[in-house]
Amino acid sequence: MSLEQYKDVWAYCVREGDSLTRPSLEILAAARKVADKIGQKAVAVILGYGLDRVVENAIAHGADAVVYADEPWLEKYQCLPYTRVLCEMAEKMKPYAFLFVADELGRDLSPRVAYRLNTGLATDNIDLAVEDYYFGPTNTTYRNILAQIRPDFATRVAKIYTPRHRPQMASIRPGNFEPLRRDPSRRGELIRFRPTPVEEDFKVKILEEAIQRKSQIDLEGADIIISLGMGILRDGEGNPRNPREAFTLVSEILELIRRNYGLKGEIGATRALIYSELKELEGLITSERQVGQTGRTVAPQIYIAVGISGAVQHKVGMIKSKKIVAINSDRDAPIFELAHYAIKDDLYKVLPRLRSLLAGG
Amino acid sequence: MLIVVLIKGVPARTTQVLTVSGVLKREEMELVLNPHDARALEAAFYLKRVVGGKIICLSMGPEPKISPIMKELFEPKEESRLVPRIIFPGVDHCILLSDRRMAGADTWATSYTLAKGIEKILQIHREAVERLEKAIGSDELYEIAKTLYHNGLIPHEIYSELPTIRDSLLARYRSGQIDEAGLRDGLRRYKDGLGRFIILAGMKTTDGETGNTGPQTAEALGQMMGEIIPSVAFVREMEIDPSGEYVVVLRALGRIIQKLLVPLPCLLTLHTEYEPKIPSPVHLKKARYANYIPQKSRIDVWNAEFIGADPSKLGLMGSPTIVGPGYEVGRPQAQKVIGESLVFARDVERFEWGGKTYGPFKAGDLAPELPVELLREMRAKGWVRVFTLEDMLNELFGGLKVVSRTV
Repeated sequence: MSLEQYKDVWAYCVREGDSLTRPSLEILAAARKVADKIGQKAVAVILGYGLDRVVENAIAHGADAVVYADEPWLEKYQCLPYTRVLCEMAEKMKPYAFLFVADELGRDLSPRVAYRLNTGLATDNIDLAVEDYYFGPTNTTYRNILAQIRPDFATRVAKIYTPRHRPQMASIRPGNFEPLRRDPSRRGELIRFRPTPVEEDFKVKILEEAIQRKSQIDLEGADIIISLGMGILRDGEGNPRNPREAFTLVSEILELIRRNYGLKGEIGATRALIYSELKELEGLITSERQVGQTGRTVAPQIYIAVGISGAVQHKVGMIKSKKIVAINSDRDAPIFELAHYAIKDDLYKVLPRLRSLLAGG
Repeated sequence: MLIVVLIKGVPARTTQVLTVSGVLKREEMELVLNPHDARALEAAFYLKRVVGGKIICLSMGPEPKISPIMKELFEPKEESRLVPRIIFPGVDHCILLSDRRMAGADTWATSYTLAKGIEKILQIHREAVERLEKAIGSDELYEIAKTLYHNGLIPHEIYSELPTIRDSLLARYRSGQIDEAGLRDGLRRYKDGLGRFIILAGMKTTDGETGNTGPQTAEALGQMMGEIIPSVAFVREMEIDPSGEYVVVLRALGRIIQKLLVPLPCLLTLHTEYEPKIPSPVHLKKARYANYIPQKSRIDVWNAEFIGADPSKLGLMGSPTIVGPGYEVGRPQAQKVIGESLVFARDVERFEWGGKTYGPFKAGDLAPELPVELLREMRAKGWVRVFTLEDMLNELFGGLKVVSRTV
């Protein structure tokens, strides 16, 4: 079968109540963007049980069609049956591209789907484009293929192509596409798929399942992150300070920013600070807050590094933040290499000043 | 039980990576253990303590770069440049898949290769038992058992030279406690048990960051073996049933917390926050029977032929994805130093000064490298001034207008 026979851009969407999760709406918008470029359909792919309202909402949010399976045995997410159903759908309907959200569920599911479909998977993309690509080893120019744009080694972006295989599979990082506005007047095609369960797929048993409260520390969902490093243990003159002071100041600053601008804030920390397990910060600075190589990778609108020297391991976790502010009294701290705004001063002077400015004083 | 830990060498300094037409040149960089793999090694140690067996470390990559990492995994040191601190007594055996044709692999081709390696590991262990089965009744039985045992291919429960284990299968056969049928039955049971292996991996690597290779290796191996091998990513807690039949794991997918019963064989990827459980001491003695003689400091290097890999599925050519040219991003356009940088206080039209034209400039722009005299003049006129904390807040938040404030 020739590559040209593969049509439409699919987005695997996860249901939330009667609609879809926000990252799912984002990848639907990404599918819309690519579909419009190649003059094909954007298709939402949904698995679950009791999906009547959900599929309508997918159309209202920009899908031209919904391919779905609505079965009691698909009510809860399970990697193996979900993999099989998605592969059967894709083998039958032959999409040009297949997008997933680059979150934990997407990372559990999409690699298996890609391997079984014998195609590539470009993960963590921040944008998509459609391009021609010349591939030397086969001496062929592949027309109108997906350029999957992903960050590469912290300071670069790379374009990944899947020229010889279909569907072209990509996972998209949350926060890079704006969901399309809901338009209830939109009409689209609903294609219900009726899969048969295969016993072997249910050899993993769900013993318990719970949905966590949203109140947990959500670094990835924050608009602004203020992160603390070992520098908070001393002031600019080198006198020891209670790091709790910095934590409190930063909490107050984030609260003011939330009130003034409606921005969601969160406190981050370096690995060094977390693993020094200071009594003063017990229960406040926990590993859930770790930004960096072995912790979270974040890309908020604003990232403020307080008392952080800027080890490579930390930098790779925050380098993609849109605006970076660094506060450090060490003028040569490597963190300043990344900073859009450099405050080379004592954090115990800067933070109170910031607080009072934000409070309107 | 065979416990296979997938490890990867990653660049020590993730920001200094050489790429030539998009392909990682690993042989030109120092590689260290992917930090996430430490969790998989801890999980492996936990499993070995409960059910016994051997921890086999499997990797793919250039031998000169991966061997030093593997050497340190046999006997982890307190301080090491290559391996993070792990509470872990060391792996039993290391296998490295290394072949020029494997270079430049994406996650699909890597997973295919690793799965072929695991298939080979299973095959070697099965063949070891089959050699014993064939030797039953011959004089060579015990000599063959001894060799296999010292090469770490059969466990103490089959043959042992430990003074504390006097009731291995072969010892009982030799003393007449069991007959030939009993011996055959015992070997068959052990051989069936080899199919209940476990594969462990870190949740992602710090270079590629994809997290694909774990689940894809399970899928690839399942296809090769003609059965479904489950994969569970992001495991935070794990307990194995002492029977070795299944594990119970806890994992979070975003806000969904799942407790799953996963039958072996399976593949798990371990979350950064995974911490091994402390095994109950009642299992420790039994577990020892399932252990093998460690093959310390032995790194087996296997090429494509040895693992029976299809060359068209290896390396760059076997990879569906192609990495195009990368380009630099992420350097700040221009840095403003609070209390030091000079910025324009207002829009300034193009103007002449000292026979040269300057501008136009916009309010907030950094004043470029202008003659000191000119800067002094402009400061005097109020055209430029020092960038302040207030200015920064204005730029970040679009003005200090208070939307609402509780008094």
